[in-house]
Amino acid sequence: MKGNNLGELEELVLLMVASLSEEAYAVAVREELERSASRAVNISAVHSSLYRLEDKGFLTSEFGGATSKRGGKKKRLFKVTSAGYAILKEAKETKEQIWSNIPQLSFSTI
Amino acid sequence: MEPLRKPPNQPPALGTFLLRKIYSEELFEEIHGDLLELYEERMETKGKWNASAHYIKDVVLSARNYDLRRTQHYKTQNNSGAMIRNYIKITLRTISKNKVYTALNVLGLALGMAACMFIMQYVAFERSYDKFHENASNLYRIQYNNFKDGQLQYECAAAVPRVGPFMKEQMPEVVDFARAYPLSMVVSYQNINFRENRIHIVDPAFLKIFTFPLLTGNVETCLNEPNTVVISETAAKKYFGEEDPIGKMIRADGQYSMAVTGVAKDVPENSHIKFDFLISYQTLNNQTDNESETAWGWYDFNSYVLLRPGADPKEFDKKFEEALLAERQEDFDKYNFRQEFPLQPVTDIHLYSNLLQESEPDEQGDGQAVFFLVIIAGFILLIAWINYINLSTARSIERAKEVGVRKVMGAVKGQLIGQFLTESVILNLLAFTIALLIVMIGISQFNGLTDSKLSLAFLAEGSFWGISALLIFSGSILAGLYPAFVLSSYQPSKVLKGKMTGNKSGIYLRKVLVVFQFASSVCLIAGTLIVYQQLKYMNNLDLGFDMTETLVVKGPGVFTADSLYRPTLQTFRNELLQNPEIRAFASGTNVPGDEIFWANGIRRAEEPRESNKAIYIAGVDYDYFPAYDIKVVAGRNYGRTFTTDTGAVILNESGAKYLGFQSAEEAINKKVFWGRGEKTIIGVVEDYNQMSAKIGVTPLLFPLITGRSSFFTIKLDKTAGKDLKQVFEKVETSYAKLFPGNPFDYFFLDDFFNRQYNSEKKFSRVFTLFAGFAIIVACLGLFGLSSFNAVQKTKEIGIRKAIGADVAHIVMLLSKEFVYLVLFANLIAWPATWFVMNTWLDNFAYRIAITPLVFVVAGLLVLIIAVLTVGYKTMATAKSDPVKALRYE
Repeated sequence: MKGNNLGELEELVLLMVASLSEEAYAVAVREELERSASRAVNISAVHSSLYRLEDKGFLTSEFGGATSKRGGKKKRLFKVTSAGYAILKEAKETKEQIWSNIPQLSFSTI
Repeated sequence: MEPLRKPPNQPPALGTFLLRKIYSEELFEEIHGDLLELYEERMETKGKWNASAHYIKDVVLSARNYDLRRTQHYKTQNNSGAMIRNYIKITLRTISKNKVYTALNVLGLALGMAACMFIMQYVAFERSYDKFHENASNLYRIQYNNFKDGQLQYECAAAVPRVGPFMKEQMPEVVDFARAYPLSMVVSYQNINFRENRIHIVDPAFLKIFTFPLLTGNVETCLNEPNTVVISETAAKKYFGEEDPIGKMIRADGQYSMAVTGVAKDVPENSHIKFDFLISYQTLNNQTDNESETAWGWYDFNSYVLLRPGADPKEFDKKFEEALLAERQEDFDKYNFRQEFPLQPVTDIHLYSNLLQESEPDEQGDGQAVFFLVIIAGFILLIAWINYINLSTARSIERAKEVGVRKVMGAVKGQLIGQFLTESVILNLLAFTIALLIVMIGISQFNGLTDSKLSLAFLAEGSFWGISALLIFSGSILAGLYPAFVLSSYQPSKVLKGKMTGNKSGIYLRKVLVVFQFASSVCLIAGTLIVYQQLKYMNNLDLGFDMTETLVVKGPGVFTADSLYRPTLQTFRNELLQNPEIRAFASGTNVPGDEIFWANGIRRAEEPRESNKAIYIAGVDYDYFPAYDIKVVAGRNYGRTFTTDTGAVILNESGAKYLGFQSAEEAINKKVFWGRGEKTIIGVVEDYNQMSAKIGVTPLLFPLITGRSSFFTIKLDKTAGKDLKQVFEKVETSYAKLFPGNPFDYFFLDDFFNRQYNSEKKFSRVFTLFAGFAIIVACLGLFGLSSFNAVQKTKEIGIRKAIGADVAHIVMLLSKEFVYLVLFANLIAWPATWFVMNTWLDNFAYRIAITPLVFVVAGLLVLIIAVLTVGYKTMATAKSDPVKALRYE
């Protein structure tokens, strides 16, 4: 196993699931990625991220009800687990930590 | 429960099928759902096409998730998916490693496939004639065979008017019949006049048994009344513009008025009978006193019958013969002749019928030529695949190490075969894609070159893709099989030791294949040369008359007072002959190259009535024979000073023989019985070819006709070429002044006559084009093979050069083998070509003999091409620095 590190897309997907809370399934995640993060990705990439995140224990899932749309197929709704929240938080803190190390000076030169 | 409804718009099934393969069963449904949702959304916003394309894209990209949640994956041996991906990867690497070989291989295949597609398109069009009729499979044309004294006199596409109705009365199998009597007339509406050649007088059933749909008008009634006419869409535009043609009156030849009762859709290109005007049959009956219903001897009627589904035409012919005999036996016995009316499937007419009085004789296809083309297409494809086999086996030594390593790592034979077959399929698919591109880009040039009307519509047809898929799949498997077996059978221990020399049987096979390729090339080149020679021979053949500098003007269709015709014609003649550029003027019912439809019974006066024989008749005036430079071999020509010439006739030599005279002289002053009375033969003219050299000379009778005729022949002086335009204007002015209301229709006789060779010309162009294709493909293969050979012998060449061999010597050494092969190929090709082309030439009444020179030229040509191809590559090797060569490896 590659350990529990998050890839860049994985992190984004995890964030999207967290922000969608109710209706977090692949198509919605993909849409949200495009809308709020301006990332146009193929559905297959979203799939691989979602299922891998679940395998790593950051997401859990259950089946939603069948609808008349999508050929009557059921959808898998994802939820962020506590481990998922923890790792998101950790990632955020790591980044903030590093940000705070960047000297103020460098901003003024821009 | 709510019944399961299928969504109205399904994404491509292929995509779904693949998706099911990619994902495990547990994941498939939910992921499929996601893809469907996206598909539905895109369909609403961007349309079906876009949605389908994205759907496929999503599926293809999903291939990366193949391993997702496959817990069973590594436990089973089912790793074929991974292996296939590996095969593809290896193929792509091999391709990029050997760019030149791959390019040669794929290009050869692509050219072969493109040629094949062109040919098959052309062939499909030729074979599509008359298949568009809804009743096509039960439609037959009544052929007319006439026997005299048990001898076949003629076989004609036009039957007698009585036979159609008689067939319907006698035979329960006949659902309906229709007759078509072809005409050429000047059609006028207000002041618009045109000569129309596509006029038929037809039965009302014509529009019902054939599928020629009406745009306006009632199929049931439009041709029931006399003096009614149905016109084509084109004719409607030509005469009426935007006006509604229904109910308008048009005039034919200035004297017959007819009401337009319907407009038909234009006749498709692939119809054996074409029309712009259909005149009701009753019109003809009224003109001929019902002769056109009852006659058993007048044969100008293309007659068609629709049989009940399931009726057997052979049985039918037999049964009808009995019925016919019951009716006609008496007449047959009395006049010692016999008639036969066999049925001919309408769908066979275009390609397989070659009778007198065909509806569109210049368009008549040639089933044999089409058959040849199919064979050529097959050969080209075969050559291309042979290239593939040759290049792959030749390269097998190079890949032997790869095979060895694979085997050591545990690959079994089946896997290796799978790998090489995958390679073959991929290369073939690549070639197919390029072939499609070639066809798309080249189709307009092809149409221009071969004067055909192919379109890219076939790309939308399922059958095309089905056949292509089948051919490519089977072809690539067959072509890949041999190299696959050779390669996979290598012993790893031998191969890896590096002692690998090509095996003997592989070389032998390669030689056989090269011989086959070049034999085909020689056949095609020699065949092309022979076709050209025959065409040139026919064009330059002394036809027995002079057709140079001859302008022909169609005689007037519209002329009000018959009594004034002769003086007006005389005035026209005098006016024209005043021009120094005009050498002669003659009028006649036909000109050479125009099929004669007028036939009548003739016999020698002393013979009984029963020995009447049919003879074709061309009416001429006093100046006809001199104008055409047709010599009178016995007796004399018609002369204005002989008042008795109204009771005289002239025959051609064949005609004299036909009537049983031993020589031309013997016929002079003999009496014949023709038409309504006895006539004296005053002259016999030399045989000349009324029709093309394909047909030969037929017996002809030339009565004197000074009245109305269809053609005016105007012989121009050789020097007239400069001011042709001026002469033209003069002729046209006189014509317009003297024959008002008639269009000025003219042609040059040589163009008109030579149009009979159009189908041969087209055939020879198609033949040449594809012979060229075949040779290019064969050369690509040879180039690849010889360059490979040169690489193999790099060391040998290096040593030879170091010892002192010169470049010429080495080129000789490397080319020798191929030269032998090409020479051997010639030995096979010559007899084969001779046999096939001799059969083809037998179709012509006048044919060339096949000279050995043709074979020598074709053989040399192929040899030179082969030597150049081989030499180009070997030269480079031979020139290379021996030091480099010896360091090689």
